[in-house]
Amino acid sequence: MKAKEFYAEHRRLLLGFFSVISLLAAWELLLTYLFPLNPFFFTKPSLIAEAFKEQVRGPKLWHDLAISSRAFLWGFSFAVVIGIPVGLIMGWRRRVEYTLDPFLTALYASPLVAVAPLFIIAFGVGVLGKAALVFLLSVFPFIFNAFAGVKSTDRLLIDVIRSFGGSEKDLYLKVILPSTIPYIVAGARLAVGRGLVGIIVGEFYAASEGIGFAISQAGDTYRLPDMFVGILILSVIAVVLTELMRKLELTLAPWRASEEVRS
Amino acid sequence: MTPFIQARNITLVFKSKTREPVTALSNFSLEVGRGEFVSIVGPSGCGKSTFLNILLGLLRPEAGEMRLNGTPIAGPSQERAMVFQEFGLLPWRTVRANVELGLELKGIPSAERSQRAAELIKLVGLQGFERHYPHELSGGMKQRVGLARALATEPEVLLMDEPFAALDAQTRDLMQAELLQIWGRTKKTVLFVTHSIEEAAYLSDRVIVMTARPGRTKDVLKIQLARPRDYEMRLTAEFNEIKSRIWEVLKEELTPESRI
Amino acid sequence: MKVKSLYTEHEPFILGTGFIIVLLMAWESIPLWYSLPKGMALFFTTPSKITAAFYELLLNGEIEKHFYISAIAFLAGLGLSIAVGLPAGLIIGRSSTLEALLDPYVTAFNATPRIVLLPLLILWFGIGIWSKIVIVFAGAVFPLLINTYAGVKNVNRVLVNVVRSFGANEWQLMKIVVLPNSLPYIIAGLRLAIGRAILGVVVGEFFGSSQGLGYMIASAATNYKVDVVFVGVAIFMALSVILTFAVKYVESRLASWRPETAKTF
Repeated sequence: MKAKEFYAEHRRLLLGFFSVISLLAAWELLLTYLFPLNPFFFTKPSLIAEAFKEQVRGPKLWHDLAISSRAFLWGFSFAVVIGIPVGLIMGWRRRVEYTLDPFLTALYASPLVAVAPLFIIAFGVGVLGKAALVFLLSVFPFIFNAFAGVKSTDRLLIDVIRSFGGSEKDLYLKVILPSTIPYIVAGARLAVGRGLVGIIVGEFYAASEGIGFAISQAGDTYRLPDMFVGILILSVIAVVLTELMRKLELTLAPWRASEEVRS
Repeated sequence: MTPFIQARNITLVFKSKTREPVTALSNFSLEVGRGEFVSIVGPSGCGKSTFLNILLGLLRPEAGEMRLNGTPIAGPSQERAMVFQEFGLLPWRTVRANVELGLELKGIPSAERSQRAAELIKLVGLQGFERHYPHELSGGMKQRVGLARALATEPEVLLMDEPFAALDAQTRDLMQAELLQIWGRTKKTVLFVTHSIEEAAYLSDRVIVMTARPGRTKDVLKIQLARPRDYEMRLTAEFNEIKSRIWEVLKEELTPESRI
Repeated sequence: MKVKSLYTEHEPFILGTGFIIVLLMAWESIPLWYSLPKGMALFFTTPSKITAAFYELLLNGEIEKHFYISAIAFLAGLGLSIAVGLPAGLIIGRSSTLEALLDPYVTAFNATPRIVLLPLLILWFGIGIWSKIVIVFAGAVFPLLINTYAGVKNVNRVLVNVVRSFGANEWQLMKIVVLPNSLPYIIAGLRLAIGRAILGVVVGEFFGSSQGLGYMIASAATNYKVDVVFVGVAIFMALSVILTFAVKYVESRLASWRPETAKTF
């Protein structure tokens, strides 16, 4: 009985685990016993694990991660610092919204990555070029989510504060900011995803260090296990960041629990 | 004579992953004769809606028997149709398409369907609204569509789960009168769940009072008012007496948590 | 008086487009009042030069050629992702076991930039069109799958019970209630998928490619032909905006019978 209860409660987790483990096992077994392993095209979990152990020991992986993180954090921080205020002002002042909205919407809807080659060539292959790209891609979710957050503030609450004689500052602090925060966190989640695209594309295109570069270089030299290690590490980082943001969102805004859009 | 609807010792338990299991009905029994209009009243959570859902075939009891005209009930079937409190109209379908739903599922050809739907739409007084969408209708009108849809498949039994609870008081009174008229014409067997003693007394032949959860039949009162009943009857002393009798039975079951 | 009321009526439009026009004009006039250092001048261009380059490329058929290739990759990848994502979303939505089994993969794939797989795909599929189609597919299938599945999960329980009570089987339920009910979610998913698909085309064609608009941009950048780069960027921008607005229009038409619309952030 106890086992059955345990299963019922943690069903989702258990099935997920089971699914991943069986896939890895099947993968390993198939490529060890059934199919020939052409090292130029395929690899298997045991080899990936070996490559992972080696990379973790050596300095290169950590160095690459540091380089990429630096560029990412620079770009992302600027996106936060610039994007949120712009979004807030747009939400607060109608005229600003009218002026900026079409322009920014057009940019948000476009694949801004398309300017990546230009950015890299103009700003160089170092931190500046990558950070600029990350900024360009991740600033928009902040702008539009902060904007949406302000606009979604319940008008009734504003009237309530006003009727108690509250000033503009009170309005901001007591009503608008609190209701905007969940939106901003959601924006952060989107921005992380887009920023990661920026970092990777930038490093694929022209770089000499960084995790993206490591992946592409491993591909060029047909070192598949190393490439998979890079991909998996990046994947784990992406999932951890995204899920963290999502948990934060849920605590701050339980009404978003029905995730109609995961983007 | 075997009763038309017969429920014997129905027990139903709601199991939940996060909470303790809840016994909604415990040894609940009930009998309804053909063509009767029977109401069920009871405190909140007593299981009356649950019972309707079992009768409808959407829920299966842990124990007990449910028979319609002698045959056990095994699942949904068009001999039993429900009118829902939240209307349950498909918002992307017109009034006519909504009324035709049951017929469509039965495989009835289109021409026959439209004809039948048109008759029913007329019966519930919604001519001219065939092409409207639910969101364009008032609450009362939506419920008429619900009624038309339930009658379309010519069920033996009409189940009504607090159908007028979401309507304003005036519309509610109107709908009650109309329901009685339509019932008079179509002669269906009706099982009507409500919170309102007045509504139950006004509409029914018999009123079943349920205990608080887990629900059982506490008492069955026969309503000795002549038919057809009109609104003025509600203002008589006789009616008030009936109401207070029902109330006497019911009020013992009401704890602060389950007040009507 | 009349002018003033005309203005207030169309204020959003006037301010919005006015801003864009002012920006373009300012951009155009930069070389007039600011002479750029030699290094920067290499990366600089103006709207007029971009337009000129656009016409030139249009006339010599370059744009047509690249556009055609990109369009194929886009449509094939998007088509595949709809063909796979939609049914998969419907099925997964109705089966919580399947959902639990597939959840780790969907979460991982959705959070990770699909771009990261590009070197692998190039290794497997070469630099032809197939690696692009797969990247477009990988990017677009997830919003579709996830949104369809969310739509199915969030289906209105009352309606399902209603239709079930009239004797509908699983297939009829799907057709009569689940699918129409999920439509707004699916369309929102489609809109996101289109954005991801365009992204896939762009980035896919940046690397290991010899054709397509993305390639056009990348090679122009290497040759410092900044105006051509912007032509490419502008084309992608225009396509994105047009497609996004087209889908948003469809979304709003569908929403006419629904009081709640699927949210878009």
